[in-house]
Amino acid sequence: MGLFSQIWTVVVMNVRSLPQRLWMSLAAVLAVSVVVAVLLSFLAMSNGFASTLGGTGSDSVAIVTRSGSQSELNSVIGRDSVNIVSTAPGIAQDENGQPIYSAELYVVVDGIKKSSGTEVNIPMRGISPEGFALRDRVDVVAGRMFEPGTNEILVGQGVIDQFAGFDLGQEVTFGKTRWSVVGVFSTGGTAFESELWADARLVQDLFNRGNSFQTMRIRLSEPGNVEGISELIENDPRLILDVDTESDYFSSQGEALQGIVFFGWGVSIIMGLGALAGALNTMYTSVASRAGEIATLRAIGFSNVSAFFGTLAESVVLSIIGGVIGALVSYTFMDGLTTATMGPGFTQVVFTFEMSPELFKNGIQLALIIGLVGGFFPAWRAARLPVVTAFRKVA
Amino acid sequence: MKDFFLVFKNLTRKPLRLFLTMFATFVAFLIYGTLTTFQVAIDSGVELSADDRLIAVNKINFTQPLPISYVNRVKGVENITGVTHLNWFGGYYQDPQNVIVMFAVDEGSFLDVYNELIMTDEEISNWMQNRQGLIAGEAIAARLGWSVGDRVPVNSNIFTQSNGSSAWEFDIVGIYSGEDAQTDTNSVYFHYDYFNETQSFGQDYIGFMGIRTADPQLNESVIKAVDDMFANTPFETETVPEKAFNQAFIEQIGNLSLILGSVVFAAFFIILVIVGNSMVLAIRERTGEIGVLKTLGFKSERIFMMVLAESLLLALMSGALGLLATSAVVDLINGITAIQLPVLILKQEIILEAIAIMVALGLITGIIPAVNALRLNIITALSRQ
Repeated sequence: MGLFSQIWTVVVMNVRSLPQRLWMSLAAVLAVSVVVAVLLSFLAMSNGFASTLGGTGSDSVAIVTRSGSQSELNSVIGRDSVNIVSTAPGIAQDENGQPIYSAELYVVVDGIKKSSGTEVNIPMRGISPEGFALRDRVDVVAGRMFEPGTNEILVGQGVIDQFAGFDLGQEVTFGKTRWSVVGVFSTGGTAFESELWADARLVQDLFNRGNSFQTMRIRLSEPGNVEGISELIENDPRLILDVDTESDYFSSQGEALQGIVFFGWGVSIIMGLGALAGALNTMYTSVASRAGEIATLRAIGFSNVSAFFGTLAESVVLSIIGGVIGALVSYTFMDGLTTATMGPGFTQVVFTFEMSPELFKNGIQLALIIGLVGGFFPAWRAARLPVVTAFRKVA
Repeated sequence: MKDFFLVFKNLTRKPLRLFLTMFATFVAFLIYGTLTTFQVAIDSGVELSADDRLIAVNKINFTQPLPISYVNRVKGVENITGVTHLNWFGGYYQDPQNVIVMFAVDEGSFLDVYNELIMTDEEISNWMQNRQGLIAGEAIAARLGWSVGDRVPVNSNIFTQSNGSSAWEFDIVGIYSGEDAQTDTNSVYFHYDYFNETQSFGQDYIGFMGIRTADPQLNESVIKAVDDMFANTPFETETVPEKAFNQAFIEQIGNLSLILGSVVFAAFFIILVIVGNSMVLAIRERTGEIGVLKTLGFKSERIFMMVLAESLLLALMSGALGLLATSAVVDLINGITAIQLPVLILKQEIILEAIAIMVALGLITGIIPAVNALRLNIITALSRQ
């Protein structure tokens, strides 16, 4: 019998005899599955957050903020600066030859987070019809569009899901002004859905902003190319502004939950060490209980290499089963779970946990490592098991 | 004593298995200890809030301003012993990513309302006299390498000076420590007047007020008095106890205790399975010996207790090692000044809770094999040999 068929025979034999060591094997499987489930849950969280923000920005839209402001909330742009920037080259024009841009406000108001019942920061965007045109996938899914010049609010789909106080038809009071919620909008799951939208001019009045704005969004004539605008800003000493494509701007914000990835890996690796100890325990026990069998095989001419791989394969099979179970559990309970956290803009961002094949691969890799290491040392012992001693043990 | 010797011998008869089982348990308690100290440190912001301190913010949201004139009006409210005001500065040092928790405050009333910040009299008087003076907490000073006497530029990501610059010059005149080891010392405070006179927009507005009441029992009436006073104005206030404010702030991030709790639970679940299994296995392997012990006249109850003692001993030993390692990790984390982390303390409550978990773990993992041993019939035991 060739070495490979020997190995194959032993592997099949070991795997088939797993039910005899049911509880020990289950313990190893369970330990690995919990570790993988924990890891993937953290990764799915950060992945979902990053893809919500990453998917928010458009490559064909530029965003202009005050230099060094870091977020829309901290930015200020005067009407005059908006006018100057709108003359920059590289801005797409409408049929009348006017530049396509939207000057917007971004303020924070209180909402109630449904999950905790506490007050949280909800962004309220002062926007104009031009601003709607700049976003690719805006849909009013319930109610209607706000009437410019009136105290009417559109509410993002995410806000409706996660926060109380902004239901359709409801009246909201900010300071002395009353606003009514007239519609719900969707932008296809992007971060804009975590916002309230109202007429820019009224937001200026309510928040004493005079004629200033916070950001300017510009339709680029050539996607990704903001050079014309940034040159104009650089050459004009009155303009202390930054310009970026909206997609770059949001992608960099999406990295805010990177810490979760480190935390998730850190915790999972440490837990993985615990599971590894469990796997080693299981496999050493398996080798001990199969000592007679291994010795018999050796006596009838099987090589110690086959004993080694047989044991290793058993361990790997157990871990992979554990990894797949863990990934499925995490997928079942976490994928699609919607929640909200404080985003980099100091406001709530509603996002959905998102599993991906890439993450799944990560989980299986971790399981595989536990299986390989957890199987290696016991396999080594199996391979070196002296035939005579093994028989003596059985007797 | 003889029983204990027997238990100990049983436990250590397979050193490799003992090591692996202990290691797995050790890991679980290390995770438990570390994450729980984190949790406690995060909660300390809430726990350490003064019961007699209220925060009054703009009712729309705490990022919206209030007029400075409100401070004097609040001073007239009954049962108030101090009012001060703070303004978020959006400070960063050198790199925009290097954000500083920084407030422009009214120096005269600030230390009365926030009396948990401790400085020498000399530092306090230097601060009062130096218009560009800045006081920093121990933790932030260590992180940025600041010491008293330094002159530092700090930028704001919100405000600009009238000359267009976003950098302000400050003299570091004091480094404060906290009353409690976990008092947050990551904040920096400077004079509101210096800020108000140099910045280019929104003059004479403040961020929020800190109000000290004569007695926590009077909080409700003070809250009502303050909020009623400003009702139906363009700047309505929302006054809440500091504790509630801090709690809500943490809730904005998400349910951290649920996340940390789930991880700890998962870790213990793994251990329960691994340890429980190897205990069952260990006792089953000893079936014959238990038969012999019973034949020799050992009472079933005594054997039952010995098995339980074995699993308890295992849990307690590895758990204790886990806590020991936790305290090393805690020291290590507290030594990091490069990033902002809360001060971790392995509190007595955490240790006691850990011991309770160890006992529970020992009992749960030992009970099945112990019952098996208790029920074991001598004849079956010996015939299984």
